[in-house]
Formats: sequence, structure tokens, C-alpha cells
Amino acid sequence: MEIPYIVTPRKDTGLFNSKIAIWLFLASEVMLFGGFFSAYVFLRLGADFPWPERTLPVMPGLINTFVLIGSSVTVVFAWASLKLGNWRMFQLFMGITVACAGIFMVLKGIEYNVKFHHQAVRLPDFTVVEGHLAYEKDEKGYVLNHHGKKIEENMIFVEAKQLNFSTVRFHKPWVEEFISQAEHRNAKILLASDLNLVTEFGKPAVTIGKANEPLSVELLAKIKKAYLAARAHNAELRTDALRLAWREKKAEFPDKKDWELTRDVNVDASKLELLEEVSTVTFNVDPPAKFEFKPRDIKEDATSSRLRDDTVITGPLLPSPMVFHHMDAVDFRHLAMRAKAKGQDPIKAIDDSWLVQNNPFVKKAWEWNKLQVAKIEKELIDGYGRDEQGKPKREPIAKERYRLGWKEFAAIAEGKDRGDADIKMREEFLGPDYAKRGDETFPEFSLPREKVAFASKFTPTWNTYYALYFTITGLHGLHVIGGALVLAYYLFFGRKMFDENPEWLANRVEIGGLFWHFVDLVWIFVFPIFYLM
Amino acid sequence: MADSPEAIKKSIRLYCIVGFILFLGTVITYLVATVPALDIGRHGFDVYDCILGLAIAATKAGFVLLIFMHFNHEKKAIYWMFASGIIMAIALAGLTALAIYNPIFDPLFYSGR
Repeated sequence: MEIPYIVTPRKDTGLFNSKIAIWLFLASEVMLFGGFFSAYVFLRLGADFPWPERTLPVMPGLINTFVLIGSSVTVVFAWASLKLGNWRMFQLFMGITVACAGIFMVLKGIEYNVKFHHQAVRLPDFTVVEGHLAYEKDEKGYVLNHHGKKIEENMIFVEAKQLNFSTVRFHKPWVEEFISQAEHRNAKILLASDLNLVTEFGKPAVTIGKANEPLSVELLAKIKKAYLAARAHNAELRTDALRLAWREKKAEFPDKKDWELTRDVNVDASKLELLEEVSTVTFNVDPPAKFEFKPRDIKEDATSSRLRDDTVITGPLLPSPMVFHHMDAVDFRHLAMRAKAKGQDPIKAIDDSWLVQNNPFVKKAWEWNKLQVAKIEKELIDGYGRDEQGKPKREPIAKERYRLGWKEFAAIAEGKDRGDADIKMREEFLGPDYAKRGDETFPEFSLPREKVAFASKFTPTWNTYYALYFTITGLHGLHVIGGALVLAYYLFFGRKMFDENPEWLANRVEIGGLFWHFVDLVWIFVFPIFYLM
Repeated sequence: MADSPEAIKKSIRLYCIVGFILFLGTVITYLVATVPALDIGRHGFDVYDCILGLAIAATKAGFVLLIFMHFNHEKKAIYWMFASGIIMAIALAGLTALAIYNPIFDPLFYSGR
């Protein structure tokens, strides 16, 4: 059957099928992205923290904008070439368009990668420190986890004497991690006592594990199986006993309603021959050894900590600092905002903050910044004057007053003023060149665990700004990939259709092009909103 | 829409001009945001920068829509479809804005005063 209106338009609407379909789709896309942009507006207006305006490196976003605009021009040229019957030019322009999509995604990938490796931490007084974490080292070199990967120096250390596993909830990879870490530290994890259990009613107890048997996933699996069998058995006994009790009570008082009997129907569980349910199992660590855990996996305490799979680790908590190999920004904006809300002087609050008081580098940088702010204030008064009340017409912004980013650290090291540091193009893309600038510019910084109020990489976890940034740019990126795949299909597999029915291919390319322009149209708003505002 | 070969050849010049305008718009937005001497309104980002940035973005988007997507000479059905999408998005954003009247945002709501 021939499908009508795939090349020639329908007379009443003047449109061919796919044109209607794509515009309906684009209308739904407007609502989708419109929803996300309105979420951005409302979350920004209602934010209870200083919005990180102009925080992203602009250069990758700017180049991506040029790339997408260029691809929008070439895709329309590709369509025009088809209309003129020029297959070679179509190939050229469509090839450039698809290549632009590739460049766009590579740049986006680099940008995302930088974010995923950049650490931020908020202190209890709302000071924010940013930088890159160091890796765990010992006398043999870098410490590797059981996957053979380096471990970031952001771990919770516990000297474990005893481990108590939940029989059903234990997480297999974590048990393996315990075994591997114990091996690394020449310690053994041994079952605390014999485990003899009745696994089948009427039969004698069987030995599931013997005292001093080493921890293994198989041993825990056996205990889990026995526990589940005992629970199932006991549940059945309890249910049967309850049924019997109801039956007897109903026979005794046939006229009474169920709700009148409920209070009197009880089962004495102690009289039932229930099997022992072992819900936790204890292992000793011999000799007590240091174990490390990711902060998100553990709820640490001075003497007893608990993992997310309900494993209880008995033993003292050891110093577990968060160590930045390079600290590259200190942000006091949130602290200042909180101080102002309390009616305090933000400058004094920062002067008194833990970081300024305890870190000579930050203290020096903060004093440098005070002088810089004074300079900016003077420049603005000289340039724009004062209003009728004598107030300066223009004043330094919060970012200048309270944030010291990596460019400011670079300026301090180079002995220059704010904004005058010599920044290389590579650094505009990937952030500071630590290797070249060295530890004097970006020093190491060790933060005691009790000073970590909230920590995250620059991911959606960090704040709503990054949540929106990743949602909108991620969704846009998926559109770029989808659009590029469709356009690449026309480029590589369109020849046959071009030979048979060039007009049909031109229509298809027009539809693909419409989608591509829409992708560009969304980016036209994404760029200023996320990168420049 | 430009469908005849002559009309398409003519349009190519227009596409080049629009491409140039888009580049220019982007450069202007970038410069206004990054060069202090070109900063409008108060020092740093403020409502005037926001209005200017979005106005340039809207102009650029308008050119893409009108010229590249041939919206300037489309059929009525397309106008209705696309406009309804935009109106719906704005209406839903407006509906969300009404959340300001939600008592949950009133700090005194639970205080009994």
C-alpha cells in the first residue's frame, strides 16, 4: 500500500505527513525545555544559598555555541544542495554538520569530566573550599582498592576489633573489601564462636561455622540460608498456632463477632518449638586493624560505626581528614550571607572563621582580597561617582568581596592584582595547571573530619545549580546525539533514496534539519543562562 | 517556502547573513558579560545584564526560527501547533509562580499568629 502525502502536501493543510509530525514533536519539546527553564528560574529566585553565577568556564560554552551555530548554517545548506540536486555538496555540508555534533559532544565530555573530578566541601560555618583530592599513600606507594584503583584521601578510618554482619543485609562487595583490606594489613577476620543451628525441625543442630573460621562470602551465605529457613519455619508454626487459637475461640463463642474475640486470641510463642533465628553474626579482627570506608557508606561514631548494609564495626574512630592535594578556591559568600541574615558584620565573621584562623595561606589570601576589594571600590568611585546620598553608584559584587577562586590564587602567586593573572588557554578549558603552578599557588589542605559538614564533587548532589546544569545540558546533549544519528543516516544511507526520489530525501532532510535547528535554539538560551548569568 | 532552484539560490545569501548575525549576537553577549567596560547596569551581573542577555538570545532564537526553520512562511496549522506549545509552557510556568500563595511558604503559618 502506498502511503499518501509523504512527498506531496495534503491539499487542505498544505503539509506533508512528517512536517506535521515534527512540528507537533517540537511543540512538545518546547514544553519540556520550557518546564526545565522555569524550574531554573524558580529555584534561582528561591535559592537559600548564594547562586553560583558565572561559575562555569566560559570558553568551552562559547566555542560550543559557535560550533552549533555553524552546524545550523551547514544543515540548511545541505538541504538547499539537495533541492538543487547536488549530491556532492549535500555530502560535504552534512558531513560538516555531523562533525560539528561530534566536536560539541567531545567538548561537553571534557567539561563534565572536569566537574566530576573537582571536589567541594562545606564547613559547619558555611565556608566552602574547592580543589582536588589527594590519593592514599603508604610506604609502598599508592594504596589500591580491590579493583586496583587509587583511593582518594577522603576516607573514614576505624580501628576495627569486631565486625557484626547483618545475616540478610550484608553487601557482598563490601564483605570482599573487608577481606582484602584485612589481608593488606596482615589481620584475620575470624568467626567469634561456634555456630550450631537447627535448620530442619526434628533434626539435630548442624554446625554452620566453627569458631575462628575466617570470614568469607560463602560462610555468610550459609548463615543467611539457615536464617531464612528458620524464619520461614517459625512463621509457619506461628500462623498454624494462631489459626488453631481462632478456631477454638470461635467454637467456644459462636455468637460473638470477630472483633469481639480479637483481644482474647493470643498465641504464647514460648510454648512453640521455634528454631533459633540468627539475624546477626559476630567476627573478631585479630589483631585489631585499621579499615577504611567511603564517607557515603558509613555512619561513623567514636566507638562503634555502622555501614549502610547494617554491618556494625566496633572499635575506635581514627583521625580521618579530608585531604586536598591542591586547594584551588575558598568561597565565603555563603558564610557572609548567613552572617548578614543574623545582623552580623560579614567581614568580621570571615575574620573569625575557622579556616582563616587556622590556615595561614587562607589568612594571607583573605588579607590580600581585602586590599583588592578596596582597590575595586576606589576604581568604581573614580569611574562612576556617588549618588545624591553619597553612596557609590557601583560597588564590588559578592563574588569579588567574598570568593577567592583559582584565578585569584594565581594572581597572588604572580604578585598581580585581581583579574590580571596570566591565564593560558588550556587553563580556561580545563582549570588550573597544578603541575606548572605548583604547591605554592595551590597548597595542600587537610580538613579534620569534624569540619566536614557536606562534601561532594561538582555533581548534581552539590547544589540545585549543578542539578539543573546537568539535567538541562545532559538532556540537550542527548538531543544532539539523536539529531546527529538521524542526519548521519541521511548522509551515509541516503544515496539510494536520492537516486529514486530526491524530493522525498529533501523532505526528510528538512525534517531532520528542523530538529537540528531546535537543538541549536535551545542552546542559544542555555549558553547565556548557565555560563554568563 | 523557497522551493524553486532560483528561490533557493537566493535564500543561501540570506542564510549566510543570519549565520553571521548569530555569531555576532553570541560575541556581543560574551563581551558584555566578560568585559567590565561594556557592563551595563550595576557593577557585575544584574537585572539589566539579564534582560540584555535574554533579549539577544531571543533575537537569535527568532532568526533561527524564522529563517532557518522557515517559520516566516509556514502554513497556519504549524503556527497554531507551535504557538500552543509555547503558550502551554508559559501558562504552566505561571501556574508554578502561583505557588507563592501556598501557605507552606508563610513562615508565620505554623506559628499560630
